[in-house]
Amino acid sequence: MSDETIISQLKKSFLFRGLPDKVLIELGRKATKRKLAKDAVLMRRGDVGDSLFMIVQGWFKIVAEDANGNELAINQTGPGETIGEMALLDQAPRSATVIASSDAEVLELKQDAFYEILDQRPDLAMELIRSFSSRLRFSTTYIQKAIEWSQKISAGDYSFIENTLTMSQAEGTDEDKASQLLSAFFQMVHNVKDREDQLKKQVENLILQIDETRRRQEFEEITSTDFYADLKEQAKKLRAQRAAQQQNEK
Amino acid sequence: MSSGKIISIHSFRGGTGKSNTAANLAALVALAGKRVGVVDTDIQSPGIHVLFGLDENKMGKTLNDFLHGKCAISEVAFNIGEKAIDAEGRAKLAGKNLWLFPCSIRGREISQIIREGYDVNRLNEGFQTILKELNLDYLFIDTHPGLNEETLLSIAISDVLIIILRPDNQDLQGTAVTVDIARSLDVPNLILMVNKAVPKYDFNNIKKQIEDTFKASVAGVLPLSFDLADNASKDLFSLRYPDHDWSKALRGVADVILAVK
Ligand SMILES: Nc1ncnc2c1ncn2[C@@H]1O[C@H](COP(=O)(O)OP(=O)(O)OP(=O)(O)O)[C@@H](O)[C@H]1O
Ligand SMILES: [Mg+2]
Repeated sequence: MSDETIISQLKKSFLFRGLPDKVLIELGRKATKRKLAKDAVLMRRGDVGDSLFMIVQGWFKIVAEDANGNELAINQTGPGETIGEMALLDQAPRSATVIASSDAEVLELKQDAFYEILDQRPDLAMELIRSFSSRLRFSTTYIQKAIEWSQKISAGDYSFIENTLTMSQAEGTDEDKASQLLSAFFQMVHNVKDREDQLKKQVENLILQIDETRRRQEFEEITSTDFYADLKEQAKKLRAQRAAQQQNEK
Repeated sequence: MSSGKIISIHSFRGGTGKSNTAANLAALVALAGKRVGVVDTDIQSPGIHVLFGLDENKMGKTLNDFLHGKCAISEVAFNIGEKAIDAEGRAKLAGKNLWLFPCSIRGREISQIIREGYDVNRLNEGFQTILKELNLDYLFIDTHPGLNEETLLSIAISDVLIIILRPDNQDLQGTAVTVDIARSLDVPNLILMVNKAVPKYDFNNIKKQIEDTFKASVAGVLPLSFDLADNASKDLFSLRYPDHDWSKALRGVADVILAVK
């Protein structure tokens, strides 16, 4: 793997985005190559994670288990992607199982190697903190917005939507899952609103219109015949008879 | 003369669901323990027999025979509770008092009656005889769309007229004329029923608009339903699928009929 490839690959992770290229090259050199056969498990959900993987070639599926213990592929990832970067900083258990879906090759960067570089270059720690706080602010802003918008929606106010779409598009370039989710969510809200508008319009469209002139004309046409006059007379008699009949029954 | 009620089911335009409504309403009222007759007066394009599973082989004497003076009206009566319980919905009518008076579905006989015409008074006599002889509580009349002579007759003599319309401006115009005619003929009970309402509309809004327009009550707004269309008039939908929205709304209409004094 060339240095450039490693640089561009690491830069996809928010963690490394702000670091100088020189440092990234160094990190890349500390990484070790691993080959995996198809169906080999790269990591298991719940394992303690202490390394990051860069996919050189091949594909991986990220799987969860359903209630019955069946494997459920929830995502897939391939060359150029990075898996498990948070493990370099905390020792939280892996959040999902990752399995090679083809023969594959990865570069593994161990936590130790990462710490070694941090020891040598304390200024990098500052850079990392900056990345984290900007990401944190980003998430918090989203959460605040989400709360604010939810409140507006429940009050029937959709006026913020116009601004939202451009905003989520702009920030959608950041590979932040939260932003994608929110953007999808508000797109949905947008659709619901469209449908509501549509519905209002259609119910209004149903305003019934009767051509009163035509109504009178047709009525006169039908009622001006002899047949109709007879019928009316007969119907009257018949009703009178039946009323009398019912009177008698009582 | 009997005190049974004549309920005419009419619509100005075709295909509104008259036959399905008439057959299902008659069945619901029969299920409620009433003695019920159903007459198909759509001589030009009969349809209601299909809902009761009748075909040319099963059909005996028809209304055409009666109108041509070839038989008595009582001979036309087809006992549904005995002879048409061959489908899941209709099976519920076993032992109930429900009779159908079908029209001929033979092309030759249809063209003959259209060509030669018939005496509408005889049709009226037929209705009165059925009411009396079978001691009916209700006689439902399924009609031909539009306002031809036999339809005007059935409107004129009905105790309850149910006008079916779709929520559509073309149906509205014709319904307006029919409502005027019904009032001119002093029909004692005028009921509107909306069928084939697209579910995305607000049904209460439709009901209100139509009631305001015609100053008459809407007994039900029944949804346009893929399931009902899929039933293809093969069975009595409201008996077969009693929990369906269409069936529920139709039971509301049946209740209105049963409550008419
Ligand atoms: N609510 C509904 N949703 C969907 N399809 C319906 C509904 N009501 C009736 N239909 C269908 O519409 C067609 C016409 O119904 P039906 O024969 O009862 O109407 P009609 O008014 O008697 O017609 P015609 O004027 O030809 O005698 C049938 O195919 C029937 O299955
Ligand atoms: Mg019909």
